[in-house]
Amino acid sequence: MSNILTQNDIRYVDYKDVELLKQFMNPHGRIIGKKRSGLTSKQQRMVEEAIKRARFMGLLPYIQK
Amino acid sequence: MATKKAKVAAETEAVLRVYEAGYHIASSVKEDELESIVGGIRSIIEKAGGIFIAEGAPVLTKLAYTMYQSEKGKRIAHDRGYFGWIKFESPTTLAKDLSDALQKNKEIIRSMVFVTLREDTRAKFRVAPVREVKRGEAKAVARSEEEAVPVSEEKLDKALETLTE
Repeated sequence: MSNILTQNDIRYVDYKDVELLKQFMNPHGRIIGKKRSGLTSKQQRMVEEAIKRARFMGLLPYIQK
Repeated sequence: MATKKAKVAAETEAVLRVYEAGYHIASSVKEDELESIVGGIRSIIEKAGGIFIAEGAPVLTKLAYTMYQSEKGKRIAHDRGYFGWIKFESPTTLAKDLSDALQKNKEIIRSMVFVTLREDTRAKFRVAPVREVKRGEAKAVARSEEEAVPVSEEKLDKALETLTE
């Protein structure tokens, strides 16, 4: 499986890694689906949780105009 | 029945977990006062017997969206805040107490306490920012690389011959 997380041996996604999380969002600020991101189910859940935490803390937008 | 409940309560209190608390302090707070606010958070953790693992000092950051805070019937908008975080190990009861204390603090715009890992969870490598790459620059680099490759005249002639044929 070739995705950013596997290639760089990232086992835990932190909500503070905004630049990493932006890789899994589309220009509108929506989370990219598992099929497009190429992540495993476990990784996708981890990324989703981190993005939602970052959004709540105001580090990432809910929607981008 | 009551003893069972007491037992369960005692067991849950004894369990130690690793938590992380993230917070945004209002930008209206002076930089000199930041230390006292962070000190207040630290003292809550220390009093409950928590052990510090890592900490990120508050840094002024631009918020991705405007946050609103109501104070005395007025709606205050915040577009910047001092973002900081603390990672600590503590009994499970502290997490609730700390999140309540952070929410009550009027100088803290937003806060979050959650269970995490002891290890450093931040990615070790830096991802190139998506929107800062300029297309013109990328093209220029590709062209210069093409020009740099030396081509002998014989090869050029052969290539031309094949094209004209």
